[in-house]
Amino acid sequence: MLTYAAKRLGLSVVIVSVAMALLFCMIYLVPGDPASVALGPRATEAMKEALRVRMGLDQPIWVQFWNFYSDAWRGDFGVEVLSERPVIDVVFEQLPYTLALIAGGITWSVGLGIPLGCWAAVKRGSFADRLVGVLSVAVIAIPSFVVAIYALLIFAVSLRWLPAIGAGEPGDLGDQLVHLILPSLAVGLGWVGYIARMVRASMLEVLETSHIRTARAFGLPEGLITYRYALTIAILPTVTLLGVGVGQMLSSAVFAEIVFARPGIGRLVYDAILTRNFPVVTGAVLVTTVFFVLVNLIADLVIGALDPRVRSSF
Amino acid sequence: MTKSPFHLSRRGVLKGAGAIGAAGLVWPSMAVSQDGRVLTVRSYSDLQVLDPAFRLSAPEGDIIREIFAGLVTNVSGDAWDWELYAAEEMMQEDDQTVFFRLREGIMFTDDYGMMTADDVKFSIERVADPAMESPYAGDWASLREVEVIDELSGRIHLAEPFAPLWNSTLPTSTCSILSRRAVEELGGQIATEPVAQSGRYIMTDWVPRQRTTLVRNPDWPGEPGGFEEIHIVPIEDPSTAELGFEAGDLDHTWTAVSSIQRLRDEPPPGGVVLEKPSLAYVWLGMNQVAAPLDNPNIRRAIQHAIDRQTVVDAAYFGAAATSTGIIAPGLPGHREANLYDYDPDRARELLAQEGADNLFVTLDILNQSERLTAAQVIQANLADVGITCEIKQNDSGTFWTLGDDSSGDYWQQLQLVLSRFSMEPDPSWATVWFTPEQVGVWNWERFDNAEYAQLHAEGLVTQDPAERDRIYKRMQDLMEESGQYVFLTHEVTGVLHRDTFDPGLKPNGEPLFGEFRSA
Repeated sequence: MLTYAAKRLGLSVVIVSVAMALLFCMIYLVPGDPASVALGPRATEAMKEALRVRMGLDQPIWVQFWNFYSDAWRGDFGVEVLSERPVIDVVFEQLPYTLALIAGGITWSVGLGIPLGCWAAVKRGSFADRLVGVLSVAVIAIPSFVVAIYALLIFAVSLRWLPAIGAGEPGDLGDQLVHLILPSLAVGLGWVGYIARMVRASMLEVLETSHIRTARAFGLPEGLITYRYALTIAILPTVTLLGVGVGQMLSSAVFAEIVFARPGIGRLVYDAILTRNFPVVTGAVLVTTVFFVLVNLIADLVIGALDPRVRSSF
Repeated sequence: MTKSPFHLSRRGVLKGAGAIGAAGLVWPSMAVSQDGRVLTVRSYSDLQVLDPAFRLSAPEGDIIREIFAGLVTNVSGDAWDWELYAAEEMMQEDDQTVFFRLREGIMFTDDYGMMTADDVKFSIERVADPAMESPYAGDWASLREVEVIDELSGRIHLAEPFAPLWNSTLPTSTCSILSRRAVEELGGQIATEPVAQSGRYIMTDWVPRQRTTLVRNPDWPGEPGGFEEIHIVPIEDPSTAELGFEAGDLDHTWTAVSSIQRLRDEPPPGGVVLEKPSLAYVWLGMNQVAAPLDNPNIRRAIQHAIDRQTVVDAAYFGAAATSTGIIAPGLPGHREANLYDYDPDRARELLAQEGADNLFVTLDILNQSERLTAAQVIQANLADVGITCEIKQNDSGTFWTLGDDSSGDYWQQLQLVLSRFSMEPDPSWATVWFTPEQVGVWNWERFDNAEYAQLHAEGLVTQDPAERDRIYKRMQDLMEESGQYVFLTHEVTGVLHRDTFDPGLKPNGEPLFGEFRSA
């Protein structure tokens, strides 16, 4: 298991390194002068030049690349262009909002997807099974920003059941949770469909295996067989799926944060790209990349721990 | 100043547990201004800098104005005017001298003592100081010095007359007064931590990208602000803000131009919709060094080919009027009419005269819906006279460097460009960007006219309103005669607010939070 974990960790380091190189290239290729955009129309050429020097943009590209790489590995992302606040502070201020959003999305997707998938598998071939199948495909097909807009219009504007904007009162967990309901639904709804489909298929496979047949032969209750013996095995692929899903949810979070005017990493990066605030872009993207790689690493390690075949095949 | 966003308390945990169980239950939505205590307003961007000398956006200026009092401030209403704020008396002694006396007893917070004339001297001179490299140094380019007479009185001495002083310099947040001692202790600049506040409100809390909280300043010696608290929520997208208003989460917001008609016809319950003329100006520019636009007759043909009324109607849903220049109605120098008409036949004639068959031009725009719609109508207008136009959309970071010489060579290829600038209520703020000095900086049309430059310099020192009116009208005539400009619109600002309070707004709809009062 240790060898397996070490190999996965090494691969994660490579992935982060490649992501950093790609990120640097993308930033370098983006047109537009960060100093002009940041300082606005009234800045003189001397002021713009001073800012370029401060941002290290006057250096040769290989020096910029080396500085970027070495600073990033040390965890030093520099300071925000204008407010001069440490980028790491800016990013970690926003990160909890996005993590909460993704956790909410996972809660929706797991909370609804697993029971629906199980139900469909148990009722295989019935109307309920077909209904779950149709609904699953439907929610997968609807983009998260469409869900966000309609959820907002229905539950916030028309019914006024839930708040429309913001992340809730700082320090008031209840208010923050209420503000999380609609955005996390928008982020997680599509994944309800994926997980329901995955769990159904996996359950059908497991329900046909010999140990389940044996359990039935022993006369164990059907509920116990389904949820204790079958689901615990059938759920394994879902863990891997969720690892990948976190990356997708990070993308969906951008839309949810814009539509619901929530703070978060998605909006931070979006705004930073528009204003060419490159230190914030690099800091935020690298932190989320590391987060994504870590989630997948943990998912792989969990799967490896639960299923020895995975360890031996790596 | 910033709070941990997920600070836990026993009460919070209990409320959270309750909320999870009651997720499907009704969450009561309320208009928070109804109790007259808290007002929730939207700004289109979050604050990044609180230093008056380095503010970046209008929403920052709105906050700075409330927490750091200036000598004077704008008055709400339909005409541009000012009133005393930190000053008890202001008097123009001659063209180059302004006397001021501060109100007695304006206290800086954080134990920085009483506001004095020396603080005024420090605050104004630091903006003007070239070593500070303030982008607003130009506002005080004519400053000689600020003289301190006694603890509360002083004189502002100018090296030469400066006409915009009372319109677009003194009332702006750039002229907010800071505590010399506080700023010096901070090392010369303020970032996002407000210290030594002195205005009608004080900033007590800033949760980045979520909320800025202003609280009524109990020590303010003048008329207090109308609300105990004002919560300023940064929401970039106006449509999201409109939904927030309709859901009861906001009390005041600007609206999208495209929403004005819908909201006017069917305002949300308890909502009031206002339309305010903007000072901003939108125009189609032509780069005179990029062929075929180096030919004045081709430029003139393009001017005649564009149906400005249709462009503006389509882009702004009929809510905005066409403009005659870069200076909005109500300001000195506003022109009543353009020098030419929409005349596609004349355009075809000019193109034929120049032998310009199958002409191809590019039109660069910012990727916003109004600009794209305007560009598409322009494209159709040009096609009607035989010019093929390719629209090139750019994100804001790219767009704002297209014509800048220091940002690459694209300025040589730039042909048509659809631009929008905002401004302060003095015509010099509009004309300054088109001087020869600005060629390749913000003058992307590379309009280079010596008479224009001369008139701009004269306009800055001329005090006679009639003469200024003549100067600025002539400058716009020169722009239009060059064939490099098609003036489109000044746009319109839509404001949506609850009927439970009266918003204090500048004539262009920008908020003066200190003047927001319960109805």
